[in-house]
Amino acid sequence: MKKALVLMALALIAVVFIYAIGKMPPMNGKDTPDKTHVVPRYLEKGEEEAGARNIITGIILNYRGYDTMGETTVIFSALAAVIALLDREKRRRSRSSVDASKVETSTVVRTVARFVLPVVVLFAVYTILHGEPSAGGGFQGGAIIGASIIIFALVWGLPEATDRMPLGARLPLESSAMLAFLAMGVIGLAYGVHFLTFILPGLSAGVAETVRSLMLTVIEAGIGVGGGIIFVSIVFAMMREDRYELQQDRK
Amino acid sequence: MSLSATHPVLLVAVPLFFAALCPVVGMWKRAACFYWALAGVAVTGFLTWTLIGKVTASHALTYNVGGWRPPFGIQIRIDYLGVFMACTITGVSMLVLVYCHRYATHDLKPERIPYFYTLFLLIFLAMIGFSITGDIFNMFVFMEIFSITSYALVAITGQKAAVRAAFKYLLMGATSSLTILLAISFLYSVTGSLNMPDISARLGSMRSTYLPVAAVALAFFVVGFTVKAALFPLHGWLPDAHSMAPSPVSAILSALVIKMGVFGILRIFFTVFGRSFSGLSASWGTLLSVLSWVAAIAIVAGAALAVFQKDLKYMIAYSSVSHIGYILLGICMLSPRGMTGGFYNLLAHALGKACLFLVAGAFIYKLGVRRISDLKGLGRKMPVTAGAFALASLSIVGIPPSAGFVAKFYLVWGSLQKGQYAFVVFILLGSLLAAVYCFRVVYYLFFTASDGPAPGVDEVPVTMWAPCALLALGTLFFGLYSGLIIPSLQTAARLLLR
Amino acid sequence: MSFSRIVNNFNYVFSALLFLMGLYTVAVKPNLIKKLIGLNIMETSVFLLIVSLGMVGGGEAPIVEAGVKTANIVNPIPQALILTGIVVAVSTTAVALSLCIRIHQKYGTLEAGAILGREVDV
Repeated sequence: MKKALVLMALALIAVVFIYAIGKMPPMNGKDTPDKTHVVPRYLEKGEEEAGARNIITGIILNYRGYDTMGETTVIFSALAAVIALLDREKRRRSRSSVDASKVETSTVVRTVARFVLPVVVLFAVYTILHGEPSAGGGFQGGAIIGASIIIFALVWGLPEATDRMPLGARLPLESSAMLAFLAMGVIGLAYGVHFLTFILPGLSAGVAETVRSLMLTVIEAGIGVGGGIIFVSIVFAMMREDRYELQQDRK
Repeated sequence: MSLSATHPVLLVAVPLFFAALCPVVGMWKRAACFYWALAGVAVTGFLTWTLIGKVTASHALTYNVGGWRPPFGIQIRIDYLGVFMACTITGVSMLVLVYCHRYATHDLKPERIPYFYTLFLLIFLAMIGFSITGDIFNMFVFMEIFSITSYALVAITGQKAAVRAAFKYLLMGATSSLTILLAISFLYSVTGSLNMPDISARLGSMRSTYLPVAAVALAFFVVGFTVKAALFPLHGWLPDAHSMAPSPVSAILSALVIKMGVFGILRIFFTVFGRSFSGLSASWGTLLSVLSWVAAIAIVAGAALAVFQKDLKYMIAYSSVSHIGYILLGICMLSPRGMTGGFYNLLAHALGKACLFLVAGAFIYKLGVRRISDLKGLGRKMPVTAGAFALASLSIVGIPPSAGFVAKFYLVWGSLQKGQYAFVVFILLGSLLAAVYCFRVVYYLFFTASDGPAPGVDEVPVTMWAPCALLALGTLFFGLYSGLIIPSLQTAARLLLR
Repeated sequence: MSFSRIVNNFNYVFSALLFLMGLYTVAVKPNLIKKLIGLNIMETSVFLLIVSLGMVGGGEAPIVEAGVKTANIVNPIPQALILTGIVVAVSTTAVALSLCIRIHQKYGTLEAGAILGREVDV
C-alpha cells in the first residue's frame, strides 16, 4: 500500500519534472538566459577584477565569497554535529590489542603508503595554492589532505594517527577556515570598504593587486587546512575502536 | 564607509566569530562556553534591535558583500520582514539560551557542552543569515546550516528515541532541501540570476515559452518549504523530533526554525515571484489558494491531534503543527489585515510555544514527568513555571488580552473582509480545540490535588523559570501593546503585496 | 512540449531519473544505509542538473589564458554552486552516518522496521 503511494507520487514528480525539462532552454546552447546575463562580465573582467585566471575561483572567493564563507560554516557545523553526537576519539592510554588497527599489518600497503602519501600531501598543497591560475582551490586541496591523513589512520591505526595529529593541534585549526574569512573580511572593513572586498583603497595598483593575491591565498590556505582537518576529525571520531565491541553475528 | 553602513553584515559576521571560537573556548574552560555564547547572542541582539530604526526609515537596507553590485555579487537585503524575523530570533534565542545554562549541565554529557553551544550559535546565525539575505542560493546555504545543526541538536542527548527521531527528521529535511535546490536550478536556468529582486525583474521580461519552468520551480519551492515548515500533511517529522529533543532545543525548533520554512514561502511568493507579475498569476494565485486551504485544514488537524496526546511535549509539538496553519493562512490571504494576522501569529506563537516547551522541560528537569496525567497538582509545587504555562496558553488559544488573541483577531478580520467565512470557522474551531488541550493541562496543574502529601514550593532555579516567565509576559505585553508593531507589519504587508 | 527538446536535454532527463531512483530508495528501502545512499544519489542528480545547465557544446574550461580570447567557455557559475552543494551533501552525510552509528549502538540494527516503527514492505 505504502509502496503504491510512493510510486504514484514519484510518477507525478516524474511527469512534472520531464515537462519542465521539455520547456527548459536547450542544453549546450550559447544564448541561454543563464549564459548571457551575468556570465559575460565574469568572463571578461574576471581576471582583472577578481584576481584569478580560473574564473570559478574568482566567483567562489571574490564575487560570491559570502557563499563560500557560508560553505565553510556548513562544514564546520557538520564537525560540531558529529562531535556532539559521537564525542572525540579517546586519548590513547595503552597499547593493547583493542587499540590495534583492524587493517592487518601488510608490508606492501605500508611501504606503498610511505612512498605515496608525502607526494599526495605535496600535490594537495599545490592544489590549494594554485586555485587562481589553474584548476584547483581550497576545498579541493583540503579534501586531498584530509584523505591522505585518513589513509594514514586506516593503514597505521587510529592511535598512531592521533599521536601525530593530536587534538590540541587539530581543534584550533578546525576553525581556521571561518576565521580566515572573517579576518580577511574585517581587513576590508578596516580600510572603509565592504566586507570581503580585496582591492583595498589607498594603495597603488601594483601593491593592491599583490595584497589581493595574498588575501586570497590566505583564505585558500585557511579553507584547505580547515577543511582537511575537519574531515580528519570527523573520521577520527567515527573510528573509535571501543565503539565497535565484538559481538555475535546479528543476522 | 562608516561603521553604521556595515551594520547589516555584522549581523552574521559577529555570531560567526563567536561560533568559530566556541570549541576553542571549550577546550580552555568548559564552563566558559555558556558565557561566550551568551555574549555572542547578546551582541548580535543589540545589533539587530538597533537596525529597526534604520529599516523603518528606508524600507529596505542593502549591503553588497565584497562591494559587487547585484546580480554580480551577493546582496544582503533587510526589509521590514527581515528585521522583524531577526528581532524575534534574537529575543527568543536569548531567553532560551539563559535557560540552557542549567539544562545543559543536567542533561548532557560534559564533553558535549561546548559543542552544544557551538551548534546553538550556528543555528542562531544561520536563521539570521537566512532572514536577511537577498540572494536565493545564499538563502539555501544558510538553510542547510540551520538544518544540519538542528538534526544534531535533536539527537544530542543520545537517547534512543531522540536519535531515531533525528534520523527521520534528517531524511525528510534533506529531501526537502534538495527539492528547493532543484527549484533554484530551474529558476536559474531560465533567468540566469540568483539575486531575488533581479530574478523577479527577469521573470517579467522572460520569453513566455520558459514560463512553465518557472511555474514548476514555484511548485517545487512550495513543496520543499512546506516540509521545512511542517505544514500538514508533510509534518511527519515534527512530532517525534520536537518531543524527543532536549527542551530548549524543542523551543528553538518550534518557535523559530519552522518559521524559516514560512519565511522561505514568503520570500518566494512575494520577493522572487511577486504579485504584480502577470505571466504566472494564474499558477501563483491557484497555489496560494490551495495553500490557504491546506493551512486551514492544518489548523484543525494539528489541534485535533494535539487533543489526543498523552505526553505533554507531543501535545505541544502537534500544537505547533496547528499554529503553522494559522501563520500560513494569514499569509495566503493576500490582504494587509490577513497578512498582519499571519505575522503577528508568528510572533505570538514564537513567544508562547517557546514558553510552553521550556516549562515542559522544567517539569522534566525537576520531576521527570512527561505524561499530562502526572502533572496533577504541580501548580502548587512549581507556581511560577506553571503560571507561565497558563499565561502562555492564553496566547496559544487566543484569549484577550494576549498576543495570540490579537493575531487571530486580525486573521478573522481578514477572512471576513475577503468573504471567506469557512476560514473563520476553521480558525475558531482551532481555538476551541486549543482550549481543550491547553486548559486540560492547566486544570491538572492548578485544580487537582497531587497524589500524595501536599507539596511545598520547590521551583526550578531562577535561570530556568525567569525565561519562562519573561516569554509568557511577552505574550501579554504584545497583546496589550500591539500598537507598537502592528502598523509596521501592515506596511510590510502592503509593500509585499505591491 | 517538444520531444526534440527533451531529447536534446538528455542530461536533465538522466538527472530526473536519478532523482526519482534516489527518492524511491529513500522512501521504500528499509535499511538506513541504503536510504542514505539514495539520498546521495538524489544529491548527485541535482548537481548533474546544475552543471549540465552550464554546458556549452565544445566549450572550454573557464580558465582564462593570458591574451587568448576564446568565445566558447562554459558557464562558471553552476560549477561554483555545486562546489558549495557538494560540501553541503558531504556534511549532511557525515551527520547522517553519525546518527546511524548511534542508532546501531542503541538498537543493534539498521533496519527501519525495527527503528522507525512503521511497516516495512520490500
